Amino acid sequence: MATGQGPQRLDPGLRNSDVAEAELARAAAGGDPDAFGSLIERHGLAARRAARAILRDDDDADDAVQEGMLAAWRAIERYDPARPFRPWLMRIVVNAALDARRRSRVRQAEPVVDSLESGGLGPDRRAEAALLRERIRAGLRSLPERQRVALVLFDAEGWSHADIAATLGVPEGTVRSYVFHARRAMRRALGNLAEEMK
Amino acid sequence: MTTSPFDNQPDEALGRVLRDELTGAAPEAFLRRLRLAVVEAGPGSQWDILAGWARPRVMAAAIAAALLLWLGGWMAAGTSALEEDVMVASLPAHTVLSAQPPPVDEIMSALMERR
Repeated sequence: MATGQGPQRLDPGLRNSDVAEAELARAAAGGDPDAFGSLIERHGLAARRAARAILRDDDDADDAVQEGMLAAWRAIERYDPARPFRPWLMRIVVNAALDARRRSRVRQAEPVVDSLESGGLGPDRRAEAALLRERIRAGLRSLPERQRVALVLFDAEGWSHADIAATLGVPEGTVRSYVFHARRAMRRALGNLAEEMK
Repeated sequence: MTTSPFDNQPDEALGRVLRDELTGAAPEAFLRRLRLAVVEAGPGSQWDILAGWARPRVMAAAIAAALLLWLGGWMAAGTSALEEDVMVASLPAHTVLSAQPPPVDEIMSALMERR
């Protein structure tokens, strides 16, 4: 773990959960897989959603998350406990997913984006749910990669713009712009369906 | 969904549908799979990471070092040959051509001229 010289200075913006995670990461760096397992419990599903926002294929996304988690586990000594753990971990997972996406681009051509207007409302909620799902997928596919990730991390995971910026390695204002454009596109794609499904 | 797409707060409705869509099936099984993979991988170290990416870079560094060594040696050889040429040229012709050893004062004066 990157302990550096002298006493550690904690980022004043760290929350209690960040401090607890820093402790878990410290234990993991000492070779405790259970401590790292606790971190997986906290962030594994968020990592899965982020990877699925990047990769079209769900199995590829799961593989990318596993690859990213293993890379984080092997590199845990380099994590700086004075900083929040989540952006550090998610940056590794997002990079693993982006790498997998580049590899899949080489392997195969991109599938054609589904029409946002396909299908009509079914007679029951099941049909509505299927339609909603179809439109969410199509809406996500229509977004540029970074907008998609920013939207999922902000609206689905409740991340701050600053954390997303740290994960994607872009300025905070850029993240705001990504979220703005992504929301507008998703609103077009979903129409009133999300409200109707409440 | 909220009315402003530039809102600073997460959009609850959109966030919920995104989570439902992207979480996928059997989340607990997926987390178990990740934990198992970590246990099977065993404790890692920075050397594992280095081993993954270092080989091509080490090769490149070795080639660059060899090239620099060769270049350095070549330049040094070129310089010493030049110095010998200058030294010989600064000696009187009979000193170089004569079968007898040259007088010490001639060699000394030639060396002093080089400075």
